[in-house]
Amino acid sequence: MTRARVAAAIAALLTVLVLQATLVSPLADAVPASLPALLVAAIALADGPGAGIAFGFSAGLITDLGSEHPAGLLALCWMGIGLLCGRLNAPNARARHDIVIAALVCGLSTVVTTVLLVLVGADGASVTDAVRYAIPAVLIDGLLALVLVPLVRLFLHSDRLRAPRPVLVLGEAL
Amino acid sequence: MRRLSRRQRIAALVLTAVAACFLTLDLVGSGLQSAHSGVRGVLGSLYRGTDSVLGPARRFLQGIPRAGSDESRLHVLEQQNTALRKQLADARVDRHTAAELARLHLAARSGGFRAVPARVIATTAAGGFDYTVTIDAGTADGVHTGQTVTDGIGLVGRVLHTDSSTAVVLLAIDPGAGVGARDLRTGQLGVVTGDGRDGYKFRPLDPTAKVQGGDRLATGPARASSFAPDLDIGRVTAVRTSADGTTVAAVTPSVSASALDVVGVIVSKNGSPSVAAGGR
Repeated sequence: MTRARVAAAIAALLTVLVLQATLVSPLADAVPASLPALLVAAIALADGPGAGIAFGFSAGLITDLGSEHPAGLLALCWMGIGLLCGRLNAPNARARHDIVIAALVCGLSTVVTTVLLVLVGADGASVTDAVRYAIPAVLIDGLLALVLVPLVRLFLHSDRLRAPRPVLVLGEAL
Repeated sequence: MRRLSRRQRIAALVLTAVAACFLTLDLVGSGLQSAHSGVRGVLGSLYRGTDSVLGPARRFLQGIPRAGSDESRLHVLEQQNTALRKQLADARVDRHTAAELARLHLAARSGGFRAVPARVIATTAAGGFDYTVTIDAGTADGVHTGQTVTDGIGLVGRVLHTDSSTAVVLLAIDPGAGVGARDLRTGQLGVVTGDGRDGYKFRPLDPTAKVQGGDRLATGPARASSFAPDLDIGRVTAVRTSADGTTVAAVTPSVSASALDVVGVIVSKNGSPSVAAGGR
């Protein structure tokens, strides 16, 4: 992993956390749409499960530590998003495909996260709300993904931020 | 579907175990409290700084869905405001009316007459006279032609004609109206005639009578006037004696004809009907 990718990952995470707290959460009201979760999905869909798992866990843990609920919960869920979206990563997939996958996986993750929050006894979480807001969450996530997924694909396919690929050395192959 | 490499599977398992450890630590004890507060502090200041920039945009976006309902709410509030203003104005009018009625009642009780209260509903010229008003009391209320009309203090005029629910009152300031009057200072009798907007003119019956500025005039005396007696007419402001010795005094009315609202029609005096025949 290059320094540029690490710096870009930190910058992207801080940006989406700030946007989530100041714009998305207040505007989405009770619907639990999550921009950081979408970012994890977008990165995993663009770069594969390795990047998805690493970024999902890190982003989740930082968000956990900045929240009231027990740490590790979002780390686990968002790592799951990274894992699932990474496995669904298809080379040369169209952006439309990634947008739909990201919205669906994030919607599913919202339900799972809320159920886990209920299990650990977090304040304000209820399974009823999780089920009630699942479809609105998918729709809002889909709208956010329309912007975020193409942007992430654009950045991660740039020369500076492209994932390093194994180099086939002819001598070794022979 | 893409398969995980061996390294990725191990990494996923290790990170899951780490997350479980964090969860256990946070659920069981308070070992992560300082980490929580540290990250919250950093993110909190970041959020506050950003909110000062993005806050106005967010509030604008939050207001869009409510724009329609805010407008209708504004309309409702405007209507309520108008209704409340009307109530306030009505309350002021009611207080004024109540005060006038109280004054009328007091005057009737102290003067020993019975008055039917009425409100002036129109100011029109009628019956060939310039100064008449219409009141909302008629024969159904006991009002008849010729009865004296007062505002509780002074003379207003007399009933010119009536129907069942309204009556036309000839104001005493009309140039065609005449009232038998008495100078309260000297007791001299005379005739007060209307002088339009200038008030009245008073001519004493005795040409040698001494009338002077400041004298107060009242209707009467009883049975010598077509009006109920002892009602204040006004105050003498100027006296002029002509070459033939006739004295004419200008009188300022005690009742403002332009500010009439609630009046009383004197329907009886000490139980007897107060109907004055004649007298223009």
